Amino acid sequence: MNQQDLDPDSTTDVGDVTNTEEELIRECEEMWKDMEECQNKLSLTGTETLTDVNAKLSLLIMQVKCLTAELSQWQKKKPEIIPLTEDVLLTLGKEEFQKLRHDLEMVLSTMESKNEKLKEDLEREQRWLDEQQQIMESLNVLHNELKNKVETFSESRVFKELKTKLLNVKEYKEKLLSTLGEFLEGHFPLPDGSVKKKKKNIQESTIQLITLHEMLEILINRLFDVPHDPYVKISDSFWPPYVELLLRNGIALRHPEDPTRIRLEAFHQ
Amino acid sequence: MSVLRPLDKLPRLNTATILLVGTEDALLQQLADSMLKEDCASELKVHLAKSLPLPSSVNRPRIDLIVFVVNLHSKYSLQNTEESLHHVDASFFLGKVCFLATGAGRESHCSIHRHTMVKLAHTYQSPLLYCDLEVEGFRATMAQRLVRMLQMCAGHVPGVSALNLLSLLRSSEGPSLEDM
Repeated sequence: MNQQDLDPDSTTDVGDVTNTEEELIRECEEMWKDMEECQNKLSLTGTETLTDVNAKLSLLIMQVKCLTAELSQWQKKKPEIIPLTEDVLLTLGKEEFQKLRHDLEMVLSTMESKNEKLKEDLEREQRWLDEQQQIMESLNVLHNELKNKVETFSESRVFKELKTKLLNVKEYKEKLLSTLGEFLEGHFPLPDGSVKKKKKNIQESTIQLITLHEMLEILINRLFDVPHDPYVKISDSFWPPYVELLLRNGIALRHPEDPTRIRLEAFHQ
Repeated sequence: MSVLRPLDKLPRLNTATILLVGTEDALLQQLADSMLKEDCASELKVHLAKSLPLPSSVNRPRIDLIVFVVNLHSKYSLQNTEESLHHVDASFFLGKVCFLATGAGRESHCSIHRHTMVKLAHTYQSPLLYCDLEVEGFRATMAQRLVRMLQMCAGHVPGVSALNLLSLLRSSEGPSLEDM
């Protein structure tokens, strides 16, 4: 037999409660009396022990009897419920609501924690986005700067620059040459008629002597025109003392095999 | 009373009592502790005994479930159980008796063959459970099962009686023909 110990722990009106309580207690007492009666009947039956030999068979027979009895009992039985008075319903309702509240609270706390997590995620993503944007901005700035630099390059400007350079250099060259010419003219003039010559002894030809400037010009030109053979034959138009001067000061060099040929020292190499 | 009877007294309110019979004191004690730790709506009482018959001087509540614990390592344990079985009333075997075999894990130490236990359980039409009571985890699981069985045998589970449980636990494997 199944026991149903129901003592409602309700805190509703005392009057109603006592009524239901009393009723329930009354029902329990009745059930207990029934049980006592059954117990008395049972104590009248004798005991029976089993031996190994007859155990199985007698047990099976007993099982058949008991199962049949239980079956008939189940078939007879009608479902009973506790009397659904007002306060019983109230108590049951309260319990249901308590459960519901508990479940909802759990749901609430779960949702809240989820929200928190989502907020954190959002913040993190936002920060990442900001960082990425900053990177992009700085890259853009760099890009623009580089673009500007590239645009300002144009061929004509370079060409003009080169031209100016060339002009400057040419000017300088002209200046140098004129200064050189003046210097040479001033300090190394050609011998004039004041030098007495004996026409008979020195068979001087009436070949015109060239200036030192012109000599140097010839040597320079030869050096740059024919770099692999910069030697110039000493002609009679060269005034020998000047040739000596050049040779002695290392400005000109003799050909190693031919004493009649000289070259300019390669100062630029 | 030398013979244990199932419905000899009125039950105590909301109480379920189990009797563990076996020679291994330590194991029984541990099993009892595990059972008492379980969450249960009814109040549990665990009695331990080395063998039946129980001394009649003690005032005990009515027993709802008897578990015979047999240690497969010792023949003495089996002998003890067989002798105790003679002091149990026949109506107990309608679902309120259960056999528990322990020590099956260490095959080399087993002196009782598995078939012996199966035959015994089959003769007395009672369920046979296997559990290594020395292992904490298995013991806890077994304690849970026993508590649930006890609740049903004490009638605390509406709609299920001990006999119903027995029918459900009936194993289709009986001892093979050569053993019979």
